[in-house]
Amino acid sequence: MTLTTLENYFLPGSGTEVVELLREHGESAMILAGGSFVHGLAARDLLAGIDVFIDIQNLGLADIVAGPDGLQIGAMVRLADLASAPDVQSDPGLGAVKDALHYPPVQIMNAATVGGNIAAVCPYFDLPTACLALGGKVTAQGSAGSRDIDLEDFSAGLFESTLGKDEFLTGLVLPQPAPGSAGAFIKLESNANDLAIVNVAAQIGVDRQGVCHFARVALGGGVNETPLRSAAAEKLLEGRKLTGEILKEAGQAVQADISPMADHRASAEYRSAMAGVLTERALQRAVDRLN
Amino acid sequence: MKQLISLDINGEIHELAVAPQASLLQVLREELGLIGTKKGCDSGGCGCCTVHVDGKAVYSCMVYALSVQDKPVVTIEGLAENGRLDPLQQAFIDAGAVQCGYCTCGTIMAARELLSAVSDPDEEQIRHAIAGNLCRCTGYQKIVDAIKLAAANGA
Repeated sequence: MTLTTLENYFLPGSGTEVVELLREHGESAMILAGGSFVHGLAARDLLAGIDVFIDIQNLGLADIVAGPDGLQIGAMVRLADLASAPDVQSDPGLGAVKDALHYPPVQIMNAATVGGNIAAVCPYFDLPTACLALGGKVTAQGSAGSRDIDLEDFSAGLFESTLGKDEFLTGLVLPQPAPGSAGAFIKLESNANDLAIVNVAAQIGVDRQGVCHFARVALGGGVNETPLRSAAAEKLLEGRKLTGEILKEAGQAVQADISPMADHRASAEYRSAMAGVLTERALQRAVDRLN
Repeated sequence: MKQLISLDINGEIHELAVAPQASLLQVLREELGLIGTKKGCDSGGCGCCTVHVDGKAVYSCMVYALSVQDKPVVTIEGLAENGRLDPLQQAFIDAGAVQCGYCTCGTIMAARELLSAVSDPDEEQIRHAIAGNLCRCTGYQKIVDAIKLAAANGA
């Protein structure tokens, strides 16, 4: 954390002020929420060119509102607060979010925010994968006003979002899961405090005859530069009864959609193999939650 | 450019000039001499630097000092009251949960949050609460024993 020298640290009181600061300082400004990801960048001397922090803690943005359209989650909601939200605790349709929030240590849960977790566009984070399977979208504010962005369109590449230069993320919206649907998430990690080697989220709906009428399978953790959905697996599952055999096939089908990276955590081959295994297990966990 | 701020550390208000990039950990140790909070990995992975901000355990190495202005911060030095150790600190001594001691202060702060929220945690809750704190000496068993002992003593 000592490697970076900043010129200034702003604590604006409104979204308008944030946008003004972004316009004034351009790419030398970084939005700061919980700080856990930014700290990781600073510790690795990856904040070259950043001169100012814009800390958005005084904007509010810390509420979770459950409405008919789903959950509206402010960007500054801490992961611990999302984990303890009644809907996340009890709705099997939000099972992927509940699972994803089981992994981080308490200290990260208390500091890291929902907005920071998504805005980082880090391929190894867990919550974005879970929210992708849920069909989530984010809200952003900029000089042209506010807009919604589907999570599928939010990532532009490694650590790059599609936010405009004067925009910042203000919240996340998770649509109300369909009645009778369920979700699950599984992460493979090397220890209790590490980023994912592979993570998978599954969201499924099954009719009374036991036939799958929708499936969403999202994968992250370095199986691609950004988390992605597996159209091949989803297509295979829809219209079928979710037997163990079909779930195994879905695990094989994800291979068509992923492009695993190799790094110090795992080889591309290992990620590829584990993506299949974890897909099958996440689907099975979701199926178990239906009953 | 340093900014003049006030920090509420263990109930005491400190006025000091802080650089924008300074972590809470740096300020605690280097500006205020509160060296009970340890610097381990300095990258949010070991837990040695755990303190409470607003009653919640966080890694002070990844919290910017300027972000906690006027929020109550409690360090290991703030647990004892009137010269008496917190029952959790005493339990670590009684259970022999300290070997080299480097992780101890951070682990106690993590466990303190758990016991403040859950008076009678089971072993899984205890192990989950200290999952963000590395100890390379004890194998964790005596740490878990100490937290159970503290809970039994009404900590």
